[in-house]
Amino acid sequence: MELINPDVVDLSRFQFALTALYHFMFVPLTLGLTFMLAAMETVYVVTGRQIYKDMAQFWGKLFGINFAIGVATGITMEFEFGTNWSMYSRFFGDMFGTPLAIEGLMAFFMESTFVGLMFFGWDRLSRPAHLAITYLVALGSNLSALWILVANASMNMPDGAHFDPDTMRMQFDSVVKVIFNPDAQAKFVHTSVAGYVSAAMFVMGISAFYILRGQHKAFAARSFRMAALFGIISTVAVITLGDVLGRLDYEHQPTKIAAIEGLWHTSKPPYEPWLAFALPDDARQENHLEIGVPFVLTPLVAHSFDTPITGMTELEEQAGPRIASGIQALAALRRYGQAHDPADLAQFRAHEADMGFGFLAMRHAPGQDVSALSAAQMDEVVRQTEPDILPNVFVTFWSFRIMVFLSLWFFAVFALSAYVSLTNRLERNRLLLKLCMWSIPLPILATEFGWITAEAGRQPWTVFNRLPTFLSASSHGIGYMIFSLAGFALLYSTFIAAELFLMFKYARLGPDHGAHGAQGPHLTVAHDRKDAFSVASSLSS
Amino acid sequence: MNIMRLAGLAVALVVSLLFAVFVGDQGPWYFAWVVGTVMIILIAGAGAILLDAQDEQTSEKEI
Ligand code: HEM
Repeated sequence: MELINPDVVDLSRFQFALTALYHFMFVPLTLGLTFMLAAMETVYVVTGRQIYKDMAQFWGKLFGINFAIGVATGITMEFEFGTNWSMYSRFFGDMFGTPLAIEGLMAFFMESTFVGLMFFGWDRLSRPAHLAITYLVALGSNLSALWILVANASMNMPDGAHFDPDTMRMQFDSVVKVIFNPDAQAKFVHTSVAGYVSAAMFVMGISAFYILRGQHKAFAARSFRMAALFGIISTVAVITLGDVLGRLDYEHQPTKIAAIEGLWHTSKPPYEPWLAFALPDDARQENHLEIGVPFVLTPLVAHSFDTPITGMTELEEQAGPRIASGIQALAALRRYGQAHDPADLAQFRAHEADMGFGFLAMRHAPGQDVSALSAAQMDEVVRQTEPDILPNVFVTFWSFRIMVFLSLWFFAVFALSAYVSLTNRLERNRLLLKLCMWSIPLPILATEFGWITAEAGRQPWTVFNRLPTFLSASSHGIGYMIFSLAGFALLYSTFIAAELFLMFKYARLGPDHGAHGAQGPHLTVAHDRKDAFSVASSLSS
Repeated sequence: MNIMRLAGLAVALVVSLLFAVFVGDQGPWYFAWVVGTVMIILIAGAGAILLDAQDEQTSEKEI
């Protein structure tokens, strides 16, 4: 079997990473702002005070810009599975396709329908009915994310499926196992709450801007207070769920956690330091310039004081027998495919758990055929394949650290902001207000680095321990890949530019523009929103 | 009408309880998300209402 050109695989990976990271510049605000709007509108319905309606409408307008421009950016990824990752889709489509299809339904039917009602229903629906719609928008957008994360979790922890040697693909066993996969649960909550953090920082930062300028005081003080409280609890939640994810990685993806912690050799508890800084050298398999905090790593990762964490060198050694066993699985599978002999099937079953490692070895086998190796060739192939089980340690280590350091920053900013707001001393703390303003993009940045940690850390696999990335791509030409990559980069950069332009424009104009305009509150808000929608749709058409 | 409303609320209560038992059992983090999100919304809302009260208190003092 001929392998797909490695440059095409790299370009496919780059294209997916690019579109996913662009898409995720829009997603967190959608996930979080919808629930913030629901909170504001709840206060409006409970107290009847107009200011909370103005808040829900103004922040809703900014949400509308983000939604209109951002919602379509995810669709390309769904197509990429078919165009650029056809081998993956063939192998894992049963598992992956189901949640993805439900996501499509959720996003396009539930979310989009209710978004329309939310925007244009202010004058047409009763207060409680409109509030219910706003909650449904929030629920709908978060539930769309749920299915994507269920799908992603099944790649990290493929529970609820088995490999069928007759169809040569993974087949779906249990929908309950897939949905309630512990990794899916933790990923969903971590990502949804990361969206809350992003939205809270967004609302708090823009409110800080108004307070600094002495504009829209009552509006800004209330928005700031709500965002600060929303943000501080969400930050605690994102950190808690981050810890849960780390623990799951420790149990199910040892190579990822070892790379995250830059752990080349098995740890020595309880002293083993947690590395706050290091320069991992993938080629030499060591770290340079380590700065660590002693006694922290073991309790942090293993939640105990005496459990050693296996290092990458030892994981490589442990992979040796699995690679040999995986090669036997593939050899038996090949024989079974030719003769359908039950003895071959039985042999395949005995080694099935290691099949992915056999795939991984194909790159190093003569003619990419692992089914007819001599004993000497087998040893050589196993030895060459062992280092392949590790992800890029530098990237995984640093993307994780950036996410974690940023979360500590968010904790400090939200805690201080909540305190200063609750004690009514906002206007005297100009430095804090400026920090809030400048922190607006940081949670989105943390989210991007979160995804890099999750995805780069899962390498060399698309489906952990089952299917290597280099076998998952489609066999395109390089020219096609470069052309489509450039197209996406150009298009998505335009979307981001449009988003930033509109966000700056409408944030600067502030809540008075539209909400209290000469034509009456709702008409002008609707007019502005149409403005944002028409710019967005003319860009995307 | 009142009986219908009561019956509706009773059904909602039973469904919520069953949902809580099932999700709490199968998916503790999903459950935590539902409860946590409601809590975050309520606390943020309470913070805003507290600000209204603080403002009223300040303006009363000024008078
Ligand atoms: C101490 C704080 C944090 C820890 C310990 C942590 C931990 C983690 C871990 C271990 C992963 C990889 C999960 C996997 O194996 O697939 C991850 C992914 C991710 N993180 Fe964090 N994280 C923290 C803070 C944050 C913050 C502040 C944000 C954004 C505001 C964030 C957003 C994400 C996202 C979007 C992902 C990718 C989706 C996923 O796998 O859940 N994280 N995080």
